[in-house]
Amino acid sequence: MVTDVCFHDTLIEAASEVFETMMFMALEEVAPEDAHMEEDSLLSSITFTGALEGCLAICCGSQDAKLIAANMLGMEPEDDISMEDICDAMGEVSNMVLGSIKKRIADSVGEITVSIPCTVSGKMLDTSLGENANVTEEFVNLDGSLVKFQFFYKDN
Amino acid sequence: MAKSIMLVDDSATMRKIIMRTIRAAGLSLGDIQEAGDGGEALEKIEQSPVDIVLCDVNMPGMGGTEFVEKLRSNSSYDNTKVIMVSTESADDFISSVLALGANGYIKKPFTPESIQQTLEPFMG
Repeated sequence: MVTDVCFHDTLIEAASEVFETMMFMALEEVAPEDAHMEEDSLLSSITFTGALEGCLAICCGSQDAKLIAANMLGMEPEDDISMEDICDAMGEVSNMVLGSIKKRIADSVGEITVSIPCTVSGKMLDTSLGENANVTEEFVNLDGSLVKFQFFYKDN
Repeated sequence: MAKSIMLVDDSATMRKIIMRTIRAAGLSLGDIQEAGDGGEALEKIEQSPVDIVLCDVNMPGMGGTEFVEKLRSNSSYDNTKVIMVSTESADDFISSVLALGANGYIKKPFTPESIQQTLEPFMG
């Protein structure tokens, strides 16, 4: 049952697992009113279907995305990292966070099937899954980088 | 003699991370090849066989499950060890992939310890 799942905790726990294990970055929640996203941003999204259908979106500023990619790749933020590698890294982050969510909700919600992640860059990017979708939205601080997580879902 | 390895993942970043993590785990490797999906991996293995394949599951083109099936249908590669690397963590799924002929399974996100634990038995 979807009502048995607290998606806030699930999302935070899943994101913490991925960032702490793969990037050695500690995650700290930020109140929405204190969250000011950069205009130039990257948006990585990955969809799912099955017991639930929806989308996980992860959005952060371009410089913050570069820091995340650098940590994933064992590089320094000032190193030359291509936009292709940064987008690829953000896609993997969304893939792993959704994988971790999937594992946590399997017993209470059921199995979901996950797509291939997609990452785009642009200005003031946002995601929507229509008016009938539920959404859990969380802002987190990762070693000074602001990241927005949105988990959109519809109960099947 | 160090084992040759192939990394199969549609994400070049993930291939780099896996390589870095293997090195961090202190495992020594021979030749390293990379492929972006199962089809490309099969083509490259046909030209230049490897000892160990680390393979993602969910990829565009040929995915990891189909790759294992096709590799195991050719007895020439009976000695090639296949380790799946995936965010998919359901026990039933893991059992099904191992039943198809995969030799091990690493869940993402992974640590150097989990990579070492899974790969070490095949490195001797």
